[in-house]
Amino acid sequence: MKKLHIIFPVLFLGMNVNAQNTQVQGDTAKILEEVKVIALARKKIQTEMKMAVSIDEFLASSDNIGFIKRGAYAWEPLLNNMSTERSTITIDGMHVFGACTDKMDPITSYVESNNLSTIDIKSGQEGSLHGATVAGSIDLKRKTTPFTPGKKYSGAYQTGFEFNNNQFFNLGNLSYSSDKFVADGSISFRKAGNYYDGNNEEVNHSQYNKFNTSVGLAYKTSPFSAVRVDAIFDKAKNVGFPALPMDLWLSRALITSASYKQLFQHGLIRVWDTKVYYNAVEHYMDDTKRPENLVHMDMPGWSTTYGLVSRANLKHGDYSAEIQLNAYNNLSIAEMRMYPQDRSKRTMFAYSWPWVTTKFTSLAMNNSWDISENSRVNFGGSLGYNYNRSKYVEFNWIFHPGTPQEKSRILPGLHASYELQVKQFSFSAGSGYGHRAPSVSEGYGYYIYNSFDRYDYIGNPDLKNEISYEANASAGFKNEKTGIEAKVNYFYIQNYIIGRILSLGSPMNYQSVGVKGYTSLNHARIFNIALNARYNILQHLHWKGTITYARATDDKDGNLPFIRPLSYQTSLHFMYKKFGIQTSLNGDLTQSHYSPEYGEDQTPAYMILNISANYSFNIKNCKTVLQVGAENLLNEYYSTYADWGNIPRMGRNIFTSLKFSF
Amino acid sequence: MKKAIFFFTTLCLSVMSCTKEKTDYEAEINTVVTEHYEFKEAAAINNDGYDISIEALNGTFYKGYNEIRLKISGDHTNEDVSAVTFLPVMTGADGGRTSCPHRYALVYNADAEHFPGYAVFTSESSANETWELYISFTINNQIHSVKQTITVQEQPNKNLNMTTFTGKDGEQYFIALVAPQKPKVAENELVAGIYKFNKPATPPSGSFPDPSQFSYTEVSNYTLQLDPRMPEPSMGNHSSINNKDLTRQSDGLYHGVVNYTMTGNWTLNFIMLNQNGKILKGTEVPTDFTPGVEGVKSELYIDILF
Ligand SMILES: [Cu+2]
Repeated sequence: MKKLHIIFPVLFLGMNVNAQNTQVQGDTAKILEEVKVIALARKKIQTEMKMAVSIDEFLASSDNIGFIKRGAYAWEPLLNNMSTERSTITIDGMHVFGACTDKMDPITSYVESNNLSTIDIKSGQEGSLHGATVAGSIDLKRKTTPFTPGKKYSGAYQTGFEFNNNQFFNLGNLSYSSDKFVADGSISFRKAGNYYDGNNEEVNHSQYNKFNTSVGLAYKTSPFSAVRVDAIFDKAKNVGFPALPMDLWLSRALITSASYKQLFQHGLIRVWDTKVYYNAVEHYMDDTKRPENLVHMDMPGWSTTYGLVSRANLKHGDYSAEIQLNAYNNLSIAEMRMYPQDRSKRTMFAYSWPWVTTKFTSLAMNNSWDISENSRVNFGGSLGYNYNRSKYVEFNWIFHPGTPQEKSRILPGLHASYELQVKQFSFSAGSGYGHRAPSVSEGYGYYIYNSFDRYDYIGNPDLKNEISYEANASAGFKNEKTGIEAKVNYFYIQNYIIGRILSLGSPMNYQSVGVKGYTSLNHARIFNIALNARYNILQHLHWKGTITYARATDDKDGNLPFIRPLSYQTSLHFMYKKFGIQTSLNGDLTQSHYSPEYGEDQTPAYMILNISANYSFNIKNCKTVLQVGAENLLNEYYSTYADWGNIPRMGRNIFTSLKFSF
Repeated sequence: MKKAIFFFTTLCLSVMSCTKEKTDYEAEINTVVTEHYEFKEAAAINNDGYDISIEALNGTFYKGYNEIRLKISGDHTNEDVSAVTFLPVMTGADGGRTSCPHRYALVYNADAEHFPGYAVFTSESSANETWELYISFTINNQIHSVKQTITVQEQPNKNLNMTTFTGKDGEQYFIALVAPQKPKVAENELVAGIYKFNKPATPPSGSFPDPSQFSYTEVSNYTLQLDPRMPEPSMGNHSSINNKDLTRQSDGLYHGVVNYTMTGNWTLNFIMLNQNGKILKGTEVPTDFTPGVEGVKSELYIDILF
C-alpha cells in the first residue's frame, strides 16, 4: 500500500529536521509522511510540455479539470465537468471568493506559479474537508521553505517570451531559511498583448497584465511549534475578455493569513495547525473600450472574507485521520450603474449582489484504516452550516416577493471508499453523499448578464440544497515499464441548479435577450471516465496517453452544457544527457452531446500538436534550464466546447523560457 | 522581525483601501428624492378673532397632491364649528377662474384634532396665475368667510407628479401621485388620486365663489391599469413584474403595486377604465425589448424619478 503514497515536502517536515532530539525527529517525519497519504493528486507546478506555465495551463494538465475560457486569462476551472459553484477552491485551505459577477476572476487567477508548490485536487465528497462540495475540491498549496540547521538562501528567476501574444514574463522568488526563521518572497510580472488565432487573425481584447507578489515569514517558537504569517497581493490590470462585452479595468486581491502549528511526539494527535485569515478582492470592469456598447455601465464588485481553518492529523497504528474545522464569513457586493445617453440625466443603479453575507462553518473528518498489507478503507464526512443574509433584500423580492432575508442550511456530507492492491493491480471503489448551498449568484444574483446564452440571470434565495449521490471506481495495473489506469465516477445530483427562462420580466442589460431564473431541476446525472496509460519504450523514451469522456443529462434526458466531449492526449518524452524533447498531441472529438437549450452549439473536433525542447546546464552553482517550444505547431484554427462565445483559441505559439535556480 | 511586521502592516494598509468607493445606496436616493413627513403651517388667516391655520407637508403647497390639515382656534370648542368648506381658486391672466380637485366640505377629526382635506394644485403660482383659498365656517350660527392668497410651488419630488387630460367621455380628469414619496428598488405600494371635474349645469349664482362652478368628484369603481417601463433608449423598454393595477380603496384613493428594478427614470404607463370597463384614456405600450430605442409611452402616463 505504501508504494501508492505520494510523499511531499511540507513545512513541518523541515521544522523537524532541525529538532534537537534526532530520534524523535525521525519518527515524527515518518509519521507525517504517513499522515499525508489522504492527498490524491499533487504535482509540481509545471507540465511536461512547458516549465513556465500559468496556473491555468498547469491545471489543464489534470485529467478531471476542464476550463471555461472567456479569453486568454483567468480561466474558470471545471472539476468533473462541473462549474466552480460546485467545487470548493481554496488557497492553503483559505476560502477566497471572486468579486466578479461574470466569473472573470476565479480564485486560481489570484495566485502565480512561483508562489505555489502544488495543487491538491480531490474528486467528489473526498474534497469535503474544506467545505461542502459536490464536484470536489481544488486546494492551491503555497510554497513554504523548511527550517534549516544553518543559514541558507535559495531562489529562482525565470523569464520568458511567447511570440503569439508577445507575452513577456518575469518570475522571481527568494527564500532565506535558518534554524529559527524562514522568509519566502516572490514577485512576478506578466504582460501579454492580443493573441492571434489559427487563421492568423488578431483576437481583439485578449491582452492582459498581471502582477503578483507574496511574502511568508515563519518563526519557530519551540522545537515542535512554529508561527507563520503569509500574504499574497495580486493585481491584474487592463485584461481583455474577448468573449464578453466588457473587459477588466482592475482587479486586486490581498490574501493574508497567520497560522500556528504544533507537532506532538506522543499520543493520537500528531499535528495541529490553526490559521486565521483575511482576504479582500476588488474587481472593476470596463466597457468603454467596446464601441459596440451603446450604453456605458460600471460594474464594480467587492468580496471580503475572513475565516479560520484548524486541522489536526491523527494517527494510531493502522489508523490515520484528518479533522478540519472551517469557518468563514464572506460579504459579496456587486453594483450596476448604467449611464444614460444623455449624460446630464440621472444614472440608473441596482445591486447585482445586494450585500450578501455568507457565514459557513463545517467540521469534517477523513479517516483511513489499513485493514491489511494490501487493502485500506477510507471514510469520512462533514457537517456544515451555511447562513446567508441579503442586506438589500428588496432586490430579491422583485422576483421572489416576501422571501426571507436570512436563510440557514445544514449541509451534511459522507463518503467511503475501499482500496485493494493485488500484486501489480490496484482497485478502488467508493461512494459519497453530500449537500451544497447555492452560490451568491444562484441565490441572490440580480440581473447578472451571461454573455454565453445572452440572458440576464436572477437568483432564487429559496433554492433547495443541491444533493449529490456519487459512486466512483478505479482499476489499474503497473510495473516498471508500463502502467494503465481507468477511473470512473458518476454523480446523481438532486435539485441540480441551473438557469431556466422566465416568461416574466424583461432584460436589463443591453445585449441580453431575456431573463433566466436559477431553478432546480429534479435531478441531473454526470458521468466521467478517464483512461491513463504510460509505457517506457526505452530507458529515456517515455510515452503517456489519456482519454477522457463525459456524459451529462438533465431530468428530461437533455444534455447539460459545458460537458467535455471525448478528448485525448498523447505525449512522448525523450531525454538524452542534458537535453530533453517532448511532443504531445491532444484534441477533442466533435461535441455530439451539446445543449442548444442552454445556448450551446456544436463544437467541431480539433487536434493540436505541441513540441518543446530543453537544455540544462550549470553556471557556477546556478542550475539553468533553457526551453524552446511551440504550442499548436500546425496553427490549427479551433475553439473548444467550453470557449465562451466560440472565441477561437490561440494559433501557433512559439515560447521560450530561461530559468535559473540556486 | 520587527521590520518585517512593519512592512507587512504597511502593505496591508496600503492595499486594504478600495480603489473605488462603494455606492451609499440609501444616501443616493435621498439626494434625488425630497421626502417630507412633517406637517407645518403653510397659511394662516386671522378673521373675526379666529385663527385659521392650514398645514401642509413641509409647510408648503406644491403642485400636485397636497394633504392639508385645517385648524381653527379661538374661544370656542371645535364641536361648535360646523359647515367648514375649503375651496382653492386660481385666477389666470385673463381673469378667468378655475379650481382644482379638492375636498370641499371638511369634517372634524376629533382624534387628530383637525379638519383633514386635500387639494391637487394643477399649476404653480406665477405672475399670471394666482391661487387663493376660500374658507368658510359656521360658529354659533354665524357664518365666517375668509380668503387668503397662497403660493403653490414646484414639486421637487418627481414621484408626486400629476397629469390632467380629457377622457373619451369628454370629461376632464386629473391623476395625481400620492405615494410612494420615496420609492425603492422593490415592490412599492403605488397610490394615486383620480378626480373628475363636474361640469356646472347652471351658470354661476350668488356671491363668489359659487361652489357648484368648482365641483370635483373622486371617481369610484374606475381601474387604472399600470405598465411601468424605463424610457431610456439604453434600457430597451425594460419593465418589471408583479405589478398590480390601481383600484379604489376605502380612503378614496387608488392603490396598486409598482415594482422598480433599479433606480432612475421610470414611466408609469396607464390605461384608465371606467366602472363599465370602457377605456377613457390610455394606450397599450409595446412589450418587446428594444435596445437603443426610446420606450414608447402610453397616451396617459406619469414620469417618476428616484
Ligand atoms: Cu468582471
